[in-house]
Amino acid sequence: MSSLPRQCFVLTRAALAGLPGRLAISLSMVASIALVVAVLIGFLAVAAGLERTLGAGGSREVAVILGGGAFQEIASAIPPDAARSLQADGTAAGIALDDRGRPLLSREIAVPVEATAADGQRRMVALRGMEAAGPRLRPGSSIRTGRLFAPGMREIVIGETLARDLGLDTGSSDAGPKTGSIRRLRLGPVDWAVVGIVAAQGGAADSEIWGDLDLVRAVFDRQGDIQALRVALDGPDGLAALRAALPGATPSPLDAMTEADLLAGQSAPVTRLVALLGWPITLLMAVGASAGALNTMMSSVSERRIEIATLRVLGFSRLATFTATVAEAMALSLAGAVLGAAVALILDGWSTSTLGADGTALVFRLAVTPAGLMKAGTLALAIGVLGGVLPAVAAARLSPLESLKAGP
Amino acid sequence: MTPFPPSLPGSPGFIRLDGVSKSHGRGAGRVAIFSNLSLEIPRGDFVAIMGPSGSGKSTLLNILAGLDPVDAGRVAIDGCDLSAMGEDARAAWRTTTLGIIFQFYNLMPMLTAAENVELPLLLRPLSGRERRERVATVLDLVGLGGWARHHPREMSGGQRQRVGIARAIVTDPALLLCDEPTGDLDRRSAGEALDILGRLNRELGKTIVMVTHDPAAARSARHVLHLDKGAFSPAGPEVLS
Repeated sequence: MSSLPRQCFVLTRAALAGLPGRLAISLSMVASIALVVAVLIGFLAVAAGLERTLGAGGSREVAVILGGGAFQEIASAIPPDAARSLQADGTAAGIALDDRGRPLLSREIAVPVEATAADGQRRMVALRGMEAAGPRLRPGSSIRTGRLFAPGMREIVIGETLARDLGLDTGSSDAGPKTGSIRRLRLGPVDWAVVGIVAAQGGAADSEIWGDLDLVRAVFDRQGDIQALRVALDGPDGLAALRAALPGATPSPLDAMTEADLLAGQSAPVTRLVALLGWPITLLMAVGASAGALNTMMSSVSERRIEIATLRVLGFSRLATFTATVAEAMALSLAGAVLGAAVALILDGWSTSTLGADGTALVFRLAVTPAGLMKAGTLALAIGVLGGVLPAVAAARLSPLESLKAGP
Repeated sequence: MTPFPPSLPGSPGFIRLDGVSKSHGRGAGRVAIFSNLSLEIPRGDFVAIMGPSGSGKSTLLNILAGLDPVDAGRVAIDGCDLSAMGEDARAAWRTTTLGIIFQFYNLMPMLTAAENVELPLLLRPLSGRERRERVATVLDLVGLGGWARHHPREMSGGQRQRVGIARAIVTDPALLLCDEPTGDLDRRSAGEALDILGRLNRELGKTIVMVTHDPAAARSARHVLHLDKGAFSPAGPEVLS
């Protein structure tokens, strides 16, 4: 090993070994950086969780048709004649057929309704009315326990995350819904039999309630309304054929997109909003943490001035002094990053909810991702560099003579 | 013991100060420490410098260490003109020619005695084994062979100062500069430290310049210089009593 690395090693070791003597101020630097890291990872975990929920299960073989230039079902309206026309066109409109030769198409409506959660609080949830083909047009979803609702019956199935939130899912496969309508849930003016739990692998359907289209429309006085048409595409060219058929189906403007594109389009603004809020807040906190780190490292240099001066007199270089001070700052930042990440990791997988685009509860799980950890770790090290460089310059420029004159 | 002459016996000097001037402060607050000061110290001498506080003893030591540049005049040690050298060159020169012993030892508290002594050797192209051998040798020399793995906090003041002496001599420098080496020690520990310095001078031929307030410490030197009001004068019996 040449002289300079040895000098850096000795000086860094001396700086780190002196940390117990500066415990309070060093811990405050670690804690402030940990807070920044935890907050940033938290924001990114919310964004990743929302993205995972909103974007999960999106299929390129299923198309969703919305009307009125809307990108959300809540703002969409589809004329009934459009649905009839597309059903009649079938494969000519790019729609796949079921085994009985009928177009795989589901007219759907999403109604915001109030439900009582397990904690007694009432919250808005999305009740989706769909036709019999509806569940088949959601390849990412499946019945986990119980069965699907029966057409014409006041029966519903509930997404598993929402069911847990409402206290309707014990997580056991032999829970009530498996054997029929043991549990009931009041939505609107009537009670509904909960006959099944839907698992959507973290997708939006985990936060939805599904029921028969005609029953839902009848109970909530929405007869004739259609907000979305969901169809199975009959191949790679199906979407183009569907789009070409839409102008002939109705004079109203309609647009068709794959389910994957729809979910990506819906999730992007939400995750962008979370990131837009999260980064400025975190960066403001990082500025504060950098000031704290600067203060800590200045204090460290001040306390070590005799050591630094002695080593400089012995012949140790300014560069070694600089490097050791930066290394101490980086070590404290790294400790803060690890602590912050450990705190944030506790939140990983926690279930929480927010309001979806239609004003209903969207339940999702916080997702701490490796990318989030890397970003937060990089920010922590940047704080260390920002807080450490000026004190390191001060340490390197420290006059051995003046420091030794000042005494211990 | 020989009282002060401007040129100590044995000169031409190993250490030479020619017309050195030094002041502190700037502008109206400028204070002259000494003006046109000259001195020659031969190789192998042991010189104590005494004087009242503020007389410039420590400033002189810092000048000899190459830590404090002079305003005017010439400082040469073993033929090297410090006045003509830049800061980095003086720092490099210190590592080969000079050992410094501090009043408060200035040891790294988190390092063991051996690691403290090893510090100046880290700047040299020596193997780990060579460094360890040298460290063991000098620790034996100062009577701390069994204390190599102890930290300064586990040692008495006298032992810490002996570690400081070992660190100063581990590179085998020709010149030792001692700044109040007994100022923080009790009488017995001070005697032990001075005994080691005396042996280094007599047996190994080290040139030693020691600044001290302690007459007993000054009596262990071969020559005593008294610095007052910016000029040397012979140290009379009243100074050494």
